[in-house]
Amino acid sequence: MGNTVRNVATIAGKELRGYFGSPVAWVLMGFFALIFGRMYNAYLDYFVRQAMQSQFGAPQPTNVNSDMIRPLLQQASVVVLFLLPMVTMRTYSEEKRSGTIELLLTSPITDLEITLGKFFGAMAMYLGFMGVVFAYILVLFGLGSPEWKPIISGFLGLLLLGASFIAIGLFISSTTKNQVVAGSATFGCLLLLWIINWSADSAGAPWNEVLSYLSVTQHFEDFGKGVIDTTHLVYYASFIVFGLFLTLKSVDSERWRG
Amino acid sequence: MIEVQHLTKRYGPFTAVDDVSFRAEKGEVLGFLGPNGAGKTTTMRVLTGYMPASEGKAIVAGYNVFDQPIEAKRRTGYLPETPPLYPDMTVREYLTFVAKLKLDAMSKAERNERIASVMKKTHVDDMANRHCAKLSKGYRQRVGLAQALIHDPEVLILDEPTAGLDPKQIMETRDLIRSLAGSHTIVLSTHILPEVAQTCQRIVIINKGRVVAVDTPENLTHRLKGAATLYVQVDGGPNSIDTLRAVPGVQSVTVADQSNTLVGYEVTAEVNHDVRRDVAHAVVSSGFGLVELRPMRMSLEEIFLQLTTSEEPQQEAQHG
Repeated sequence: MGNTVRNVATIAGKELRGYFGSPVAWVLMGFFALIFGRMYNAYLDYFVRQAMQSQFGAPQPTNVNSDMIRPLLQQASVVVLFLLPMVTMRTYSEEKRSGTIELLLTSPITDLEITLGKFFGAMAMYLGFMGVVFAYILVLFGLGSPEWKPIISGFLGLLLLGASFIAIGLFISSTTKNQVVAGSATFGCLLLLWIINWSADSAGAPWNEVLSYLSVTQHFEDFGKGVIDTTHLVYYASFIVFGLFLTLKSVDSERWRG
Repeated sequence: MIEVQHLTKRYGPFTAVDDVSFRAEKGEVLGFLGPNGAGKTTTMRVLTGYMPASEGKAIVAGYNVFDQPIEAKRRTGYLPETPPLYPDMTVREYLTFVAKLKLDAMSKAERNERIASVMKKTHVDDMANRHCAKLSKGYRQRVGLAQALIHDPEVLILDEPTAGLDPKQIMETRDLIRSLAGSHTIVLSTHILPEVAQTCQRIVIINKGRVVAVDTPENLTHRLKGAATLYVQVDGGPNSIDTLRAVPGVQSVTVADQSNTLVGYEVTAEVNHDVRRDVAHAVVSSGFGLVELRPMRMSLEEIFLQLTTSEEPQQEAQHG
């Protein structure tokens, strides 16, 4: 057990070094901060105007949590959807292309340890993105007094969402030697999962329920409201486990096929 | 130390390795010889646990690589055909990463000492802080070798360890391999023939996925020489051939080359007949000039070509 933890940490550390030792992490995080910052600014602007209008007797009072933080986290999830494929695309495909996968697969560690190491390495990188979001939200505590509980649940949702994206990304990366193919296929898949419920209403029973259950963003919404529903937890957990399972099987089948 | 039994590896309908069996004793250097695409790399990949075999089994350092892969891998060092380096790591960072992967938990000082000694052994210590992407081919190969040695494995599997090196580096690498023999069991593949003759105690010749011959380099040259053949160059025109044919014990004489009065012959003697003295005497006493007389030993190249291109001796050699 101690060995497993050590091996996973070794691989995760190597992955993290790969992200931060090259421009990948810095470029992605820079753009994330820029794009999210722009959204943040726009929402803040809008919110301040709303608040001023409500002072002059507008019908609805405003709330930082529901009018600002919740939609912001929703937007963050969309930006993450665009950027995470670029984080995961190199995980396996680069090792396969350069032949370093041969080192990993002939070292005294299990395939599961390699997969988990890569998963946690990408998660650590993703925590950097979330740190950016957190820093922006933190500013709001200086300006007003938002409720922190829905923020925590929102971040939990964001974490699970990212973990699911990473699990899919790992699997797709493990199927190809080509980073570009891995990146664009992952992006396509995530996009598909994002819009899968758009036609749910017109699909009719039982498909509408199936489609909206499959949508990754549908499950994310409740977290922003401060609701931690086991349905959503189960959805994301099974998503992650399934993605990692597929990755393992893909690496294993590669061994047999040579 | 290494035992391979009836190993077969198929990729779909294509059989890359077909019923290969061999063994290597402790401390032995086993050369794996064959043309490109013969199945050398595939066999090595099975031995290192990179891929499973379709049939048969492989035992490395007492552990079956399919049933107890982790134990077997702990005792195996592997240098793949292309050294598995991470371009954005320095040599020291890379070896630290590999050491963490392959060695049990140990103190940082202990690990650094280990890394330093391996770098020294493989002569890469002067590039310790250079990024792997910026290394020359020779250094890459040696860092790859350092990586394979880091956990002081009982078994070393080296896939073309001298490929791409310059002559001086090749000599250094061979010396290193020879110095590792004895304490390590080494399997190395190559298609450079003098290399096996110089570094290996035994040779496995493999062609189209099948083992064609297993023997020491000396025995292979002897066995395949068949009947002893002499090269004799005589000064005195083409009618000297009759003199040679008349020597007792000579089986056949053929003209190998001819220029003016100098004629070169290939004289094949009957088995276990040393005809050199008689041939020399006959030539000289018939009034011809004896210019050259030497035994023709088959070089490893010729053996290799004979084994891997013709069908008949292939079958013979297999049962030999």
